[in-house]
Amino acid sequence: MNTTKNTPILSVRHLVKCFGQREILKDIDFSIDHGNVISIIGASGSGKSTMLRCINLLETPTSGEIIFEGKNILDISNNIPLYRTKVGMVFQSFNLFSNMSVLQNCMVSPVTVLKHPKKEARQTAMQYLEKVGMAQYINARPDQLSGGQKQRVAIARALAIKPQILLFDEPTSALDPQMVGEVLSVMSDLANEGLTMIIVTHEMAFARDVSNRVIYMADGVIVEDGTPQDIFGNPQNKKTQEFLARFTKNI
Amino acid sequence: MAADMPTTFLGWVMFIINQYGTALLQGAGVTLLLALFGTLIGCIIGLFVGIVQTIPVTDRTNSGFKFLNKIIQFIFAAYVEIFRGTPMIVQAMVVYYGSMAVFNIDMSAMVAGFLVVSVNTGAYMAETVRGGIISVDKGQTEAAMAIGMNHIQTMYTVVLPQALRNIMPQIGNNLIINIKDTSVLNVISVTELYFVSKSAAGVYYRYFEVFFVTCVIYFIMTFTASRILRYIEHRMAGSADYQLVNDPMADPTGIFPNNSNQGGKQ
Ligand SMILES: Nc1ncnc2c1ncn2[C@@H]1O[C@H](COP(=O)(O)OP(=O)(O)OP(=O)(O)O)[C@@H](O)[C@H]1O
Ligand SMILES: [Mg+2]
Repeated sequence: MNTTKNTPILSVRHLVKCFGQREILKDIDFSIDHGNVISIIGASGSGKSTMLRCINLLETPTSGEIIFEGKNILDISNNIPLYRTKVGMVFQSFNLFSNMSVLQNCMVSPVTVLKHPKKEARQTAMQYLEKVGMAQYINARPDQLSGGQKQRVAIARALAIKPQILLFDEPTSALDPQMVGEVLSVMSDLANEGLTMIIVTHEMAFARDVSNRVIYMADGVIVEDGTPQDIFGNPQNKKTQEFLARFTKNI
Repeated sequence: MAADMPTTFLGWVMFIINQYGTALLQGAGVTLLLALFGTLIGCIIGLFVGIVQTIPVTDRTNSGFKFLNKIIQFIFAAYVEIFRGTPMIVQAMVVYYGSMAVFNIDMSAMVAGFLVVSVNTGAYMAETVRGGIISVDKGQTEAAMAIGMNHIQTMYTVVLPQALRNIMPQIGNNLIINIKDTSVLNVISVTELYFVSKSAAGVYYRYFEVFFVTCVIYFIMTFTASRILRYIEHRMAGSADYQLVNDPMADPTGIFPNNSNQGGKQ
């Protein structure tokens, strides 16, 4: 297998997810290249979160394939925890471990999962906390932080295991407007540094300015997939046009 | 002799304390011992049962394990229902006399008492622990899994510390209940506080005065336990504030550089 820039780092093939009788994801198909940033937009309930959760197996897909490093990770023999250390996730509700300090949050996975020595794990954690501007807060507990601070720590925690892809599920939706900016600016930095990211977001300006590709989802299918210029400037599908019409005044 | 006997309530109380103070305190010691170790072992049993009862079974679990798991779950569920569903006083009788009659084991009353208190507490704690585990926010386990932890790692680093913190009040409650309820072990002649009191009261037929003293001793024990537990709960909650670290890289070897006494406690 060659690892040139054009080889997808992750491919989703014919992904289907049903909850009971309801088909929430219908034949989702896309791949993401190294260093790319994909924004996923779409109405509430269109299946964006479900798709992201399927990618790191918080939900078990009903059928389809997820190819990572040339292997279908849905094969039963695959080591799921190991895969998850390569595909990180940032949640809308932060989900910082409430029984740990900021620093411990960022060290726990490197130490318990990757078995890194504490000293090394600490240095890595500090490096990322520095990057998100939270190094001063290492002794704080999550419940003592603002939403924006929590989300920045959550990003540092995800980065501390050095994932190859980072998934974001509406990372700013639970934040007060004045805190959205601080989180988005951290994410733009990561994009500029070449981190591969898949971002579910309602921040259209961010999706337009930071990502190389935008996917519009509706009712469990990918309706349109293209560059931000195509999707925002010249949407082909009627659904996309209608959806974006509601947001254009925000951009 | 009879001329020396006290005539007032307080006189009797003093008399009883003089005559039986040591015996009553020894009884209180046995009570505390049974309650403390019974609660401790009960918590360990409860923790174990609660943890096993919350092992997730998914589509990916292999069928051999699923079958084994079903059997174990049945046994644990039966254990919880039986020991919660029968009075401890009856369990004491069954264990003490039954061990002799059925298994020919000559158990001392004290050992039988420990066993009954521990196993009984274990049944209650199992439910408490299970509840504590399932009440931890699902986002916490998802976040742990999303950074690569398996079920066991998630349990001991994230879920159990939070569950334990949440069930501390119930653990304390169990301890206080045990301090009081070990009194039922008098039916198998464990020389705990109630048993000693009953014996002492019988000598002069001063039931009210003796049990008044007993009452005070029980209350002192439960009240002290309750205060200590409050303190522990308070400590577990961690400090109310934190300090900024101005030079975070100052001591890259320590977890909490500069101000090791500040910040959240696990
Ligand atoms: N565990 C579940 N069981 C049953 N149905 C579910 C479950 N999770 C999600 N769904 C359903 O799947 C659909 C898609 O949900 P999903 O959360 O993926 O939407 P979304 O695009 O992320 O929406 P939002 O923008 O509001 O976050 C919804 O109709 C939801 O009710
Ligand atoms: Mg969602």
